[in-house]
Amino acid sequence: MAEEFNTDSMLSVFLYESDQLLEKLEGIILEKQDADCFDDTDINEIFRIMHTIKGSSGVLMYENITKASHKLEDVFYYLRESHPEDVPHLELVDKVLAVSDFITGELDKIKNGEASDGDESELVEDLDEFLSSIKGEIKKQGIRLPQANKHEEPTQFYIAPVAEDDSHFYKIIIHYKNDTQMSNIRAYSATYALKGVAEDLLYTPEDILSNEASGDVILAEGFYMLLQTKSTKEDVINLVDNSEAEQIDIDEITAEEFGKRLAELGREDAQAVIDLGEKKAAEPEKKAAPAPGDYVVKAKEAGKGKTLAKNQPKQQTIISVNIEKMDALMDLIGELVIAEATVLQNPDLKVPGLDLTNFQKAAAQLAKNTTELQEVIMSMRMMPLTNTFQKMRRIVFDVSRKLGKDIELEVIGENTEVDKNIIEHISDPLMHLVRNSVDHGIEENPADRTKLGKSPKGKIILEAKNEGGKVYVSVKDDGKGLNKEKLFNKAYENGLVDGSKTINDFTEKEIFRFITLPGFSTKEQVTEYSGRGVGMDVVVKNIQEIGGRLDVDSVEGEGSEMTLIIPLTLAIINGIVVKVGNSSFVIETASIKEFVRVGEDALIQEPGGEEYLVLRGECYPFIRLNERYHLPDSRSKIDEGVVVVLEHEGEQICVLIDSLLQEQEIVVKPIPPYVKKVKGLSGCTQLGDGSIALILDIAGLMLDGERR
Amino acid sequence: MAEELKEEELLEEDTQKGKYMTFQTGKECFGISISYVSEIIAMQPITPIPEAENYIKGLINLRGKIIPVIDVRTRFLMEPAEYTDRTCIIVIDVKSTVVGLIVEKLAEVDTIKDDDIIPPPTISGRENEHSKYVYGLARTESCVKLLLDPEKLIHQDDFKMFENVQEEEES
Repeated sequence: MAEEFNTDSMLSVFLYESDQLLEKLEGIILEKQDADCFDDTDINEIFRIMHTIKGSSGVLMYENITKASHKLEDVFYYLRESHPEDVPHLELVDKVLAVSDFITGELDKIKNGEASDGDESELVEDLDEFLSSIKGEIKKQGIRLPQANKHEEPTQFYIAPVAEDDSHFYKIIIHYKNDTQMSNIRAYSATYALKGVAEDLLYTPEDILSNEASGDVILAEGFYMLLQTKSTKEDVINLVDNSEAEQIDIDEITAEEFGKRLAELGREDAQAVIDLGEKKAAEPEKKAAPAPGDYVVKAKEAGKGKTLAKNQPKQQTIISVNIEKMDALMDLIGELVIAEATVLQNPDLKVPGLDLTNFQKAAAQLAKNTTELQEVIMSMRMMPLTNTFQKMRRIVFDVSRKLGKDIELEVIGENTEVDKNIIEHISDPLMHLVRNSVDHGIEENPADRTKLGKSPKGKIILEAKNEGGKVYVSVKDDGKGLNKEKLFNKAYENGLVDGSKTINDFTEKEIFRFITLPGFSTKEQVTEYSGRGVGMDVVVKNIQEIGGRLDVDSVEGEGSEMTLIIPLTLAIINGIVVKVGNSSFVIETASIKEFVRVGEDALIQEPGGEEYLVLRGECYPFIRLNERYHLPDSRSKIDEGVVVVLEHEGEQICVLIDSLLQEQEIVVKPIPPYVKKVKGLSGCTQLGDGSIALILDIAGLMLDGERR
Repeated sequence: MAEELKEEELLEEDTQKGKYMTFQTGKECFGISISYVSEIIAMQPITPIPEAENYIKGLINLRGKIIPVIDVRTRFLMEPAEYTDRTCIIVIDVKSTVVGLIVEKLAEVDTIKDDDIIPPPTISGRENEHSKYVYGLARTESCVKLLLDPEKLIHQDDFKMFENVQEEEES
């Protein structure tokens, strides 16, 4: 049972870690997609990523992932060590993305509790071919193990030498009993045990972990190791697991012989190592060029991963925290603030004649700390859009390649921070918009672009900015732009507009808004990426769910711009607390246009009972909140109360309240689901004194007002 | 380890079994199985919710958690009574719906044996307005206690049925 538990926690760490690594991988790839080649840092990083994924997937026995990542690691190993020229960069990018996609797909399966059953063999073959081609080999090679020794680039497990004068050299041959299960694993554990003392270790067959067939070879021929170490023969024997071993031959050999045997196994630098070993080791052996496929564990470079990470200062150190813990912390801090208010405004302090100088000082300090604490917890929920934008790079890359369009993506403001919940909600809509821009926006034929004086290369600008409590995320392309007539005709054909209306009955914006209607698509052909007409209305729906909206703007021939306008956060809003009767309400500050005091004469009453308010010559719908919600003890005369002018999506409404209390940041909490939903209320919150205020939902209020 | 835990759980269930939190509302005594009760708090300022059912008095702030409260009197269609300092709120947790019940007077925790509980008598044609929520009557030394099914008590669908009954009665 304990074992099961372990695997579970290991699995979640594996999934999380691999996700992060793959994200990073894509980041590197896409950053360099247009470059001519990867630089050393990238190659090292990709190698390291694949190495980590290979290692952890191997432990968890996801063999297909192990093999695929192993192959890619091979390729990058070769690139790293041999610096080959003329690597077809785009092809390489494709290969890396293919592997990354494969692993992502498998990880998704694992996450959904399915078996990871993807077939990696095609991918591996493909990579093999690619590797051979960059090595300049015409001959296609299989991955069969026995060829390893005949291979001109031999592949052995190899631990980098740090030769010293008092080293001993051993030749070790382990023969396992014929019925030994998994002799390859036993061989591996032997090498693992020796690694601790080894200055240099080389063994064959080399592929003992990833290739089960190697077990048979070990059984038949024995497991052959060359070891350079300071340990004595006895120590070595003790280290090697001999429970299943039939016979272990350990012969001490001279340095020369060691070098010779290394050379036999194909290590070109073997002689050099020995020479150096005799003269005192220096750095050149690090440049040793073991062949691809070698499993390199450089004992003296344990810190390598860290060094690499440090090379990229923009990478932040991140730990993941369960969101429930965050919420609990937030609640606790909310309570702390209330407790603070109870202490600082305690009636016991109001006794006349008390000297509170010291108390006030301490109180001020406490207040400062709690405010800071509150700010920190709020900021903890905020995340930069970087990762989301990264995905968009990938989409532009994929789609533009498939459609044969040459498109450049410019990203602005990817560090803009948005609440975690919101990020999750905008990822899909944004994906649709970007796909649309690539597919519909940019012209298919570069000649069409040059005719209009545009650069033949299409450009898409993805921009995020933070303005007035809202986040604007826009996708802008310099493509065809929207054709109003086409849009109108299409909408007309699809029965989306009233038959009696003509194009002149609609404003530009209204026509643009047609594209967000369900079942609208101007693209004649349905492609893999778009054209089914389901995209835009889904986008709009998703965005509306989080209280945002979509703005469409376009100039024909110059391009179009789609802007998502979303609230910064769902959890915290800046609101104004108002009072009606004995109840407090909160109105989101962003939707308040103004507060006015007006007299009775500004009011117009319809015979039906509906009221309107005339303000500076404009007529607005008017709601008395006290009547609307049947609140007792409130001011019913308009000149005694305050009128708030609210705006939502370009429409205004006037609401009569009693008085204004204060402006404050409030934490939105849902009204308990037990209570049925009330139109015009979107949630509730706790005020500083512990009492509860209801949050007004402007859109709901308007809707309800219209209906009445 | 695991077994110990189980035992503990069993033990806890045992101590709760047959125990009822009893309270008085109007002239009648009610009982509610103690396993539903999470705590009892003093009366608090209540924020009313507009347009909500009349027995939902509003929301209270229970240490940062916002929960709705129900007035048991109004729920049983009794005349509302003034809240006094004996009035308190029983916080119950029914399948993770947390609701506060405003009761006039808390009595005690009573142990009632299963044998002492009889199903409420029904007279065909006339439904007692309590019977929707009362699943049993228990005779104790002091009085007859009506045992409440909290799930039905707070459930809204039931309310509609209730309303219909009432309308019929009115007509």
